[in-house]
Amino acid sequence: MRDSLALRARRLARRVAWRLRALVRRDALDREVREEFQLHVDLEAEDLARTRGMTPAEARRRARVAFGGMDRFEEEHRDARGMRWVDDLASDARYAVRALRRTPGFTLSSIVILALGIGATTAVFGGVNAVLIARLPYAHDEQLVRIYEQDAPTRRWSLSIADLLAVESDHHTFSAVGGVRRRVAPVAAAGDPQSRPIAAATSGFFRALGTRAAAGRLMDASDDRVGAPPVVVLSDAFATQAYGSAAAALGRSVLIDGHGFTVIGVLPVGVQQLAAVRADVWPALQPAQPSRRGPFGILAVGRLADGVSADAAQRNLAALSARIFPIWQAGFQDSAAKLTPVSLRRSIIGDGASTMGILAGGVGLVLLIAIANVASLMLVRATGRRRELSLRTVLGATRARLVRLLVTESLVLTMVGAAAGVVVGVAGLSLLRAVGPYVPRLAEARLDGRAMAFAVAVAMVSGIVVGAYPVLSLFHAGQADAAGGGRTVGGGRRVHAVRSAFVAAQFALALPLLAGAGLLMTTFLRLQHVDPGFEPDHLVTLDVALPSAGYANDAAIASYWRRASARISAIPGVGGAAISTAMSPNDEGNNENNFDLVDRPVDAGTAQPTSPWPSVTNEYFATMGVRLIEGRLFEPTDTGAAPVVVVSRAWADHYYPGQDAVGRQLISGGCTSCPHTTVVGVVADVKYSGLRGSGDAVYSPATEGWFRTMHVFVRTSATSDGQLRTIRDELQAVDRSASLSTPAVMTETVYEDVAQPRHLMTLLGLFAAAALGLAAVGIFGMLSYTVAARRQEIGVRMALGARAGMVVGMIVRRGMAYAAMGAGVGLVVAAAGARLLAGQLYGVTAADPATLAEVTALLLAVALAACWLPARRAAQVDPARAIRTE
Amino acid sequence: MSDRADLLQGTLDLLILKTLLFGPLHGWGISKRLRQLSGDVLDVGQGSLYPALYRIEERGWVSAEWGTSPEGRRAKFYALTALGRRQFAAERAEWRVFATAVDQVLEAT
Repeated sequence: MRDSLALRARRLARRVAWRLRALVRRDALDREVREEFQLHVDLEAEDLARTRGMTPAEARRRARVAFGGMDRFEEEHRDARGMRWVDDLASDARYAVRALRRTPGFTLSSIVILALGIGATTAVFGGVNAVLIARLPYAHDEQLVRIYEQDAPTRRWSLSIADLLAVESDHHTFSAVGGVRRRVAPVAAAGDPQSRPIAAATSGFFRALGTRAAAGRLMDASDDRVGAPPVVVLSDAFATQAYGSAAAALGRSVLIDGHGFTVIGVLPVGVQQLAAVRADVWPALQPAQPSRRGPFGILAVGRLADGVSADAAQRNLAALSARIFPIWQAGFQDSAAKLTPVSLRRSIIGDGASTMGILAGGVGLVLLIAIANVASLMLVRATGRRRELSLRTVLGATRARLVRLLVTESLVLTMVGAAAGVVVGVAGLSLLRAVGPYVPRLAEARLDGRAMAFAVAVAMVSGIVVGAYPVLSLFHAGQADAAGGGRTVGGGRRVHAVRSAFVAAQFALALPLLAGAGLLMTTFLRLQHVDPGFEPDHLVTLDVALPSAGYANDAAIASYWRRASARISAIPGVGGAAISTAMSPNDEGNNENNFDLVDRPVDAGTAQPTSPWPSVTNEYFATMGVRLIEGRLFEPTDTGAAPVVVVSRAWADHYYPGQDAVGRQLISGGCTSCPHTTVVGVVADVKYSGLRGSGDAVYSPATEGWFRTMHVFVRTSATSDGQLRTIRDELQAVDRSASLSTPAVMTETVYEDVAQPRHLMTLLGLFAAAALGLAAVGIFGMLSYTVAARRQEIGVRMALGARAGMVVGMIVRRGMAYAAMGAGVGLVVAAAGARLLAGQLYGVTAADPATLAEVTALLLAVALAACWLPARRAAQVDPARAIRTE
Repeated sequence: MSDRADLLQGTLDLLILKTLLFGPLHGWGISKRLRQLSGDVLDVGQGSLYPALYRIEERGWVSAEWGTSPEGRRAKFYALTALGRRQFAAERAEWRVFATAVDQVLEAT
């Protein structure tokens, strides 16, 4: 038959479609075939009964016999459908499961190891995915930038009103740009005022992000004008809690700082932060024309206009910076400071990238160790099965078929491991979110489809690696040791070499993890021993925010504090109370101020130095226990006519090393027209820039200018819940319109500052422990196997006079050689990788020899223990029996 | 597979196609019709019948559809397609040539 090409193609297409249908509808087709056969038998039986006069039962029996075994026909039928390979796959899998079941010890330990490795990796991947890979929840997030002031590669800060207005006036770069200013203020929606984070935003901020209101509307340009009616947008959670529903909130009045703001809109459900600014209350920011360049507290976000590249935006903003610099030169002399756009994503992730990088690196090492461990187990298993496989070859199994068997087996193993791993991963991710270091966006991490795909991919790769050697050995083995290999249980030199390499590799991979965990632990311990500058144990703090409505001037605030301090001091057990605008040990730059030394000013056009600059009452020093070293503290006469400051010893050493600091004069805040500020005293250091930071501080007396938001510090002999409640109640009684936070003992605040290294240390410590455990199990397994394989040899040696000690030594030496080799390679890897950690360390260098020596010693000690156990068993070999079993 | 098997298989296909010339039949109907037409000489084993049916369905010579049998049972009916009709004509011609040839050989004196 000579068919046309078209006809052939059509026929081929039909066949392919047919086969595909057969595959997809396999169960349905099987059912149909069964039904068809059943009908055949039934009809045949009826026919026999009718034509031959048989009883129905006899007819059925005959019909069935005539048809033969139904299963067999179904099988043939399926063959005709071209489904052989699917069945083969299923039978291979069944075989693999049976084979794995025969060795439950091996199977279970492999699955547990793989589940831990894959699970931990998947959990960290879930975190990495959320933090580093997933897009921000804004349309075209690649167009979004945060705008900073930047004067050095690592020094950047927020914008001022003057900067924001300038950027808004530049229409070429951004399609929308806006700013938001965060602060904590007393907010009263329904009921008593409460201190809450609020974020005052311009309309451009919402426009840039593309945020829409779920109810009502967001700000528009008319709301940004000074003097426009004050309006506010609420989060859905806040609106629902205060008014019952989003719709009910519209038109209501919210008191912020005692001033009424009309609710015009509610954000969509679930939106609790915008551009990483977390707030429930978003009043309109109405930027008034400023009189100077600073202060800098505005987070500005812009959306690049279509077709404007980040580079072009950077150039435009640099030109803009140059244009506005002369306007404010009198008060702001840092000509190097340029408005600089940074991708919003990068600005939000910040240091999170390096933290996640460390975790990903750590967990990757654990996974590699897990794979090496299972691969080495698999190797032993493969050598043990050489006879079985040889037998199969003799019985006619093709090599391809054996490869398929082995590959199926390791894939079944890793897939089960991956399935268990996903469960571990879910648990691991909640653990990561709970005890892990703080990383922006980590809270959003979920194990989604991408994470599942990742787990499956990891499992596939693991399966291939784990199963590679047994398969490769099929091709090396040849027929030489086909039916014979009973004695060479050890599996020959090649297998032994590969196995030793796996064992050494596990130690090499474990060492960097141990080193990392060790360095973080040292950091943590050093930080815990850093003196914050005060005794935190009997110190209580809470925040007070006074509404601007009732406290318009200094006299009103000062009078509030006089009454409050009198009431608190009257509480039994209280030794003193004070206020400060700054929180220790980490004020997060909230009270940073720039200054210039009158006797040693900076060069024109360069940045002035800055320092934490708390405004405190005179009692602050006594309450905190900060010692006066030189000069004097504040006096009631320090009211601002001749401004004075007290500096910390670190500050004095920093700017006047070896000289007298008292009596020096400063220009504060770049105000050249203000009277000079005089240093009147030097006090002991208190940390305001974190425990790792310097002790620099400049204190202004509160009497020179009172602030409506303050941290209250109370020295008290008791820190019971009752005492904390009493302190709050007494403050509440002074003025109910003041909003108060929950009191906290300062030990918690100090502890909070070491949270990051503690969390990171915990996680890396877990990884390191798992790694060390796996490596120990690996070497233990290998040596046990060696001992079992060399029983006879050991027996002979002992019969010939070798003492137990020599045998133990022989085995231990052999094991320790691999461990030491691994540790050596590991040290090199650790030294190379330690730089990753450098940013997280304090008081210890990344290549700290003491830490490296300690962790190496720990590693070798664990290895020694793991070697000693099988060696002991070797020494207990009974020579007579060992030789007899030959 | 040997040539002999191919030949027999081809013959079975031809016979099945023939039974379907008069209209759609289910599996048992085909085997019954074959027995009737051959005077109970040809009793095709089910083990050959169904795989053959499946094969020729795959080739597109017959189409299968579920319906209700004269006995009131759900049954799979096989019907000849246009392609099947052409195939039958071609195979019958081939068979005639073949049978005649075999006959000539056997009758040769």
